[in-house]
Amino acid sequence: MTSISSAVLGLRKTAVSRAFGSWLGRIAGGFLILLVLTAIFAPWIIPFDYAKQDLMNGNAPPGWPHLLGTDQFGRDVLSRVIYGARTSLSVSATAISISVSVGMALGAAAGYFGGFFERAVMTVVDLTWSFPDILIALIFVAIIGPGLTSTTFAIAIAYLAQFTRLTRAQIVRLKGETFIEATINLGAKPSHILLKHLLPNAIAPVIVVGMLAIGDGIVLEATLGFFGLGAQPPTPSWGAMMSSGTAQLFLSPWVIIFPGVAVAVTVIAVNLFGDELIRALDIRDRIKGA
Amino acid sequence: MLEVRDLEVAFGPIAPLSGVSFSLAKGETLGIVGESGSGKSLTAMSIMGLLPLSGGRITAGSIIFDGQELTTLAEPVYRKLRGGRLGLITQNPMTSLDPLQKIGPQVDVVAKLHLGMTSREARARTIEILGTLRIPEPKTICDRYPHQMSGGMKQRIVIAMALAADPDVLVADEPTTALDVTVQAQIIRLLDDLVKKRDLALVLITHDMSVVAQTCDKVVVMYAGRAIEHGPVEDIFHAPQHPYTQALIGCIPKGLSEDEHLTGIPGTVPTVVNYPKGCAFHPRCKAAQAICSTDRPGFVTKGQSAAACHFAGAVQ
Amino acid sequence: MTNKLEVRNLSKRFTISGGPFRKARAMHAVNDVSFDLVSGRVVGVVGESGCGKSTLARLILRLIEPSNGSVKLDGSDLRAKTPAQMRALRADMQMVFQDPYSAIDPRYTIARAVMEPFEVQGRKPTGTEEEEVDKLLNMVGLNPGLASSFPHQLSGGQKQRVGIARALALRPSLLVLDEPTASLDVSVQAQIISLLEQLRDDLGLTYLFISHDLSLVRYFCDEIMVMYLGRVVEALPDTNAAARHPYTATLMDSTFAPDPKLRRIIAPLEGEVPSPFDLPPGCAFAERCPRAAAICRNETPILSTQDSHPVACHHPL
Repeated sequence: MTSISSAVLGLRKTAVSRAFGSWLGRIAGGFLILLVLTAIFAPWIIPFDYAKQDLMNGNAPPGWPHLLGTDQFGRDVLSRVIYGARTSLSVSATAISISVSVGMALGAAAGYFGGFFERAVMTVVDLTWSFPDILIALIFVAIIGPGLTSTTFAIAIAYLAQFTRLTRAQIVRLKGETFIEATINLGAKPSHILLKHLLPNAIAPVIVVGMLAIGDGIVLEATLGFFGLGAQPPTPSWGAMMSSGTAQLFLSPWVIIFPGVAVAVTVIAVNLFGDELIRALDIRDRIKGA
Repeated sequence: MLEVRDLEVAFGPIAPLSGVSFSLAKGETLGIVGESGSGKSLTAMSIMGLLPLSGGRITAGSIIFDGQELTTLAEPVYRKLRGGRLGLITQNPMTSLDPLQKIGPQVDVVAKLHLGMTSREARARTIEILGTLRIPEPKTICDRYPHQMSGGMKQRIVIAMALAADPDVLVADEPTTALDVTVQAQIIRLLDDLVKKRDLALVLITHDMSVVAQTCDKVVVMYAGRAIEHGPVEDIFHAPQHPYTQALIGCIPKGLSEDEHLTGIPGTVPTVVNYPKGCAFHPRCKAAQAICSTDRPGFVTKGQSAAACHFAGAVQ
Repeated sequence: MTNKLEVRNLSKRFTISGGPFRKARAMHAVNDVSFDLVSGRVVGVVGESGCGKSTLARLILRLIEPSNGSVKLDGSDLRAKTPAQMRALRADMQMVFQDPYSAIDPRYTIARAVMEPFEVQGRKPTGTEEEEVDKLLNMVGLNPGLASSFPHQLSGGQKQRVGIARALALRPSLLVLDEPTASLDVSVQAQIISLLEQLRDDLGLTYLFISHDLSLVRYFCDEIMVMYLGRVVEALPDTNAAARHPYTATLMDSTFAPDPKLRRIIAPLEGEVPSPFDLPPGCAFAERCPRAAAICRNETPILSTQDSHPVACHHPL
C-alpha cells in the first residue's frame, strides 16, 4: 500500500499544483478548499442552531439576522446550507472512496488475472452499466431502508462499475508494456508486478475520475434526499432541504433556491477542477479509452 | 530540374531547418541522409509545399523547380503541381491509402485530376502503370481494398499513385523503412528502373547509408537541421571530408574483415530544442577545437564535394 | 566446450478461436526448433518480420509457455521447474528488449530501475545501494549523475543502456538480445553494439542475438541461424559461410553493402512472406523458391543435425 499512497502523494505534488496554474483552476480549487473547510468547521461557524425551530419566525425572507431567510419551521437557512455541506460532502466522498477502492481491486484483479474471473466481473459491470445510477441507488435503498448509511452504500454501488471498468482498462493496457515483461523476466512475483508497477501507473486516471464522481455523488445524494430516502430530519442535507421546500415553493422560494445553488456551484467547481487535473496529468486519452 | 538554395524553415520561434542547398537534374538520384531529427523529412515537406499543414513556413532561401520559384507560389497553383509534376512517396504505405476505397479508383483519380483524363482513360493508365511496377494481375488488383494486400504491394500502389500523373520529380521519404529486407530490395530496384526509364529526378530521403550507396548519384548529409556535406556518392563514401560523415560511415558494419570494429559516435543526437551553438556536431566530434563551439563553419569545397567544417578534410 | 543452452524441438502454436462467422485458425509461430548454444559464444537469429524470432526468444526464457519441446539451461530442464524455481532462475538468464522507450517504468528513477532486480530477487548488493548504482551505470557507460533522473529525461540510447544495466545487475550468464538496436539511430546503434561486445569480453557472457539486419548479425555473431516462417532453415557455422539455402542466399543478396563501388544489379526475389496461418504442406519457401520441385511442395525438409553446416532444403545450393 505504500506505493499507492506515494503515488497519490506524487499526484498531489506535481499535478495539483499544475491544475492550480490556470485562473479557472485557481477559482474552482479555491472554492473547493473553502467548501471543505466550511464543512469541517460547520458546528463552529453556523450563526444559529440548524435544528432550532422558531415557529413564530417561519418563512422569513432573507435579511437580518437570518441572511438567507428561514424555512417553514423558522430554522435558519444559512446554517442549514452550511451544515448540509457537511452531510452532502461526507456522504459523497465516503461513498466514492468505497467505490474507488473496491472498483480498483475488482478491476485490477480482472485485468491482471483475466479468464473466467474477468468475464464474470465484466458481465456484472456491463449489466449495472446499462441501468441509470439513480435506479441502482433507489433499488438498494429500497432494500435496506432509508438513512445516511444506506445512501452512502447506494452511491458507492451506483458508481462501482465505472471504476472497475476504468481500472481494468488501465491494467490491460499496461500489461502489454515492455517494462512489465522485463520485470517478469527479472523473476518478479505477480504481487510485485501488480503493486509496484501496474497499480501505481493506473492510479492517476482513476483518482481523477473519482474526484469528478464526487460531484455526481453530491447530486445523487441530493436526489435521494429529495425523495426523503437520505438524511432523516432534523439532519440537514441539500436534497432534503429542497424537498421540504417544495411545499412553499412560491411562498418562500429561498428555502429551495439556496441549497440548489449550493449543489450547482459545488458540482461545477468539482468538474472544472477535475478538467484542469486531467489536463495537468495529460491523461485525457486514458480516461476516454476506458 | 530541381534546385534548393539556403532553405530555412521555422515553426514559430524555432528554426529546425536552415542552410540546405542542393540541385538535381533529370535521370539523377539524390540521397538526403541523416539520423532522426536531422531535418530530412522537413526538406521533403518543404519541396512539396506541405509545411503549412503542420504550422511551419519557409523563412529564407528558394526552391526552383524547372525554372519556377516554388516558395512564393500560391496554394492553388501548388496544388496542381503537387501530385502532378511533383510526386511524393511517403514512409508508411499502411496509412497513405484510403482503407474504404478500392485500389483502382484511388489511383485513377490522380490521372483524372492532373491530366484531365476520362474515367476509362484513367483506368487504362492505372492498369498500365501497375503492370510496369510488376504488380501481378493489375486488373484484379484494381478491385481490391488496401487491407487485402501486403505491405510491399501497398507501397507499390503508393508509387503507382505518384507516377500516375507522369511527374518530373519524385520525392521518396523513407520509402522502404517499414518493409522487410527482401521487399526493400524489390522496391529500391523498382525506383532505380523508373529513374532510368522515365528520366525522373528522384530525391531519396533515408537514414540508411547502405541504401544511399546502392542507389544515389549525389548525396546530401544532414545533421541537426543543416546540410553538413554534399557531393558525388563515391566521394561521400570514399573521401568524406566532414568528421560526422566519416563517423557515420564507421557506424555501419561492412563485413569485410574479422578485425572490423564499430565504435559509434559518442553522445546523443540533438533534438531541435537543444541544437548546439557553432558547429552542431562539435560536442560529439573527436576533432573539435575551441572555434567549433563558437563559430558556425561555412562550406569548404573540394572537387565536386563541399563540407561545412572548420577542419574539413584535415581529419581522418 | 559446455552448452549454455540446449533447445530441442521447441514449438509454439497459437490458435485463434473461431466463431459463427469464421473458422478457427492456427499458426505455428515457432516450429520444431533445435539448437545448442555453446558457453561464451554469440549466436544470431536472423529473419524477416513474422518469422518467429521474437517468439523464439520468449519461449527460451519461458515468458511464453511452449506447446512442445524443451529448453535446458546449463543442463537443467526449464519446463520441469516450479514457478518459484523459475523466478529464482531468471537471475541467470536475462533479456534486453527492442523498445527502450517502454522498457523502464516511467514512474521509476534510473537508480530505482537498476536496483529493482535486487529487490525482486531478495538479494543485497555487495556494497551500499549507491555504490551499486554507480557501478552499474559506469559499467554501461552512463554518467552516475543520471541516477535520480526519470526515463523521459533520457535519450533512446541512454534508455537502452539502462535496460542493459538492469539485465546485468544480477550477473546473469545468458543474455537474450531482442533487436536491441532496431529503434535507435545508426550512430547510437554502433555505440550499443560496441558496449555489448565489451561487456561480453569483461563478464564472459553468452549471447543470443535476434535481429532482422543480416549485416549487423554477421558483424556481431559467431554463428547464425536463419529463420523463415517459424522454422530454422539454415545454421551458418561461421559468418563468412556461403549460403546453402536459397532463402539465405536471397537474404544475403537483398542486403545492401554500404559502398557505391560494390553496387550491383540485384535480381530481387519476387513475392513476400506469406501469411503464417494454415501453411500448406512441404517447404514454406517453395512458392518463392527458384529451385522448387515437386518434392518441395509435399515433404517438409528437415534441418540435418549431423552436418557441420545444417540446412533444411531438398535442393541446397
